[in-house]
Amino acid sequence: MKDGNIEQKLQSEARALLEQGRVDYIIGFEAGSLKFTTTPLITSNIADIDRLVVNPFIVNNLSVYLTEVKGRVGIVAKGCDSRSIVSLIQDKQVAREDVVILGVPCPGIIDLSKVERLAGKDRDELDDITREGDRVVITVDGNGREFPATEVLFDNCLGCDFPTPKEYDVLLDVSSPLVSDKAASQEKLDKLKGMAPEPRWQFWASEFDRCVLCYACRNVCPACFCQRCFVEESEPQWILPVPRWQDSLMFQVVRNIHVAGRCTDCGECERACPVNIPLRSLTREMYDLVDELFHYQAGMDKEAPPLLAAYEATDAEDFIR
Amino acid sequence: MKQDLDWEPRLVGFLCRWCSYAGADLAGTSRKKYPANIRVIRVPCSGRVDPLFILKALRLGFDGVLVSGCYPGDCHYQTGNYYARRRMAITKKFLEYIGINPQRIQASWVSASEGGKFAEVVTAVTEGLKEVGPNKLFADERREHRAKTTKRG
Repeated sequence: MKDGNIEQKLQSEARALLEQGRVDYIIGFEAGSLKFTTTPLITSNIADIDRLVVNPFIVNNLSVYLTEVKGRVGIVAKGCDSRSIVSLIQDKQVAREDVVILGVPCPGIIDLSKVERLAGKDRDELDDITREGDRVVITVDGNGREFPATEVLFDNCLGCDFPTPKEYDVLLDVSSPLVSDKAASQEKLDKLKGMAPEPRWQFWASEFDRCVLCYACRNVCPACFCQRCFVEESEPQWILPVPRWQDSLMFQVVRNIHVAGRCTDCGECERACPVNIPLRSLTREMYDLVDELFHYQAGMDKEAPPLLAAYEATDAEDFIR
Repeated sequence: MKQDLDWEPRLVGFLCRWCSYAGADLAGTSRKKYPANIRVIRVPCSGRVDPLFILKALRLGFDGVLVSGCYPGDCHYQTGNYYARRRMAITKKFLEYIGINPQRIQASWVSASEGGKFAEVVTAVTEGLKEVGPNKLFADERREHRAKTTKRG
């Protein structure tokens, strides 16, 4: 991806949208305060447009802001993000005519912790990280070291089937070649599936022992758009506000079931988690389960009814007595 | 693990108001015998059952959950049981993935005329739960202590 060209194209499109009054806000990415990182930029000011960036670090799923920003919105979306937007349209949380999707064909997003592990250095000590096709060059002290891109991309990116947005108004680039490693993407899940049920339960019990119930996973999730979440209800009080692994695990399991058919495996929950609970090992399993049971993939068709608000007379019922 | 000799499984049944609850009623009025292990909660429709209810029941220490509604095509609200069917399929498989024995999550269609079937379902589910054993999923020291010191419903 020639980032410079895409950036220019994005900026001119975004500027035009604001100037012509076709949108009230632009939601995109700007450089973050920490090295290499990006941060969401939500603006109605044309002067801010120069700050928009597109690079291999645009990690956030911006569609989560669509239900908060009022008015018409131009939004930068990667493959998974565009599916989240379609999913919101299916659920009637967002009207299609109120969003202008600026699609970015996504070559996979770079996981900075993986880069740090590979380079053996903190991100602040790295001079540069550049992506060239299926390779990544990490420059430290003026010396570039080359690695396969598959070693630094996020797990969910390695298992991505739809890196190019299917739903868009403007596509900022031609689709880029997919760099994938399905085995690496599924590694953690396969390991869990290889375990007996008791150790598997124990695994989750110990992982959720760290949970502090900050709800970051829920708050970054575009599929979690309920105005009022069951965890905040007090009558009945489903879970206590005090973090206990039982309640935390119950919350996360129910959350996963609630977002079944909406989750696009964008990986935001796992990235947002401050205590590194491998949440994607739950969300991805649900994603695969929904596909296996109902041949349904989230956010593929804006006309289709949401998975759990629809049924087929032929849905499997072999488990029902 | 030492198992309490007189341990009996506790089962929550979410029964739809129109079919399965009436079926349970008929089982009673026709003097059908079935295990007293089930605690019945009447719901307007099997489609009312949020998977949250199932998790909460397990969290409270119930050994199993049964969701029972009208047969496909018989729903009082036309389609509620179809939504329930999808939700239950997902819930059962997902809970199995995180390590919960699928025997603990049960679903059935019982019509208002099937008192006999209701008794059979409860018997079979209870027997299954006896094989699976007590639900210690959410137990921890604190809870063990509480269970000893407080009366259990």
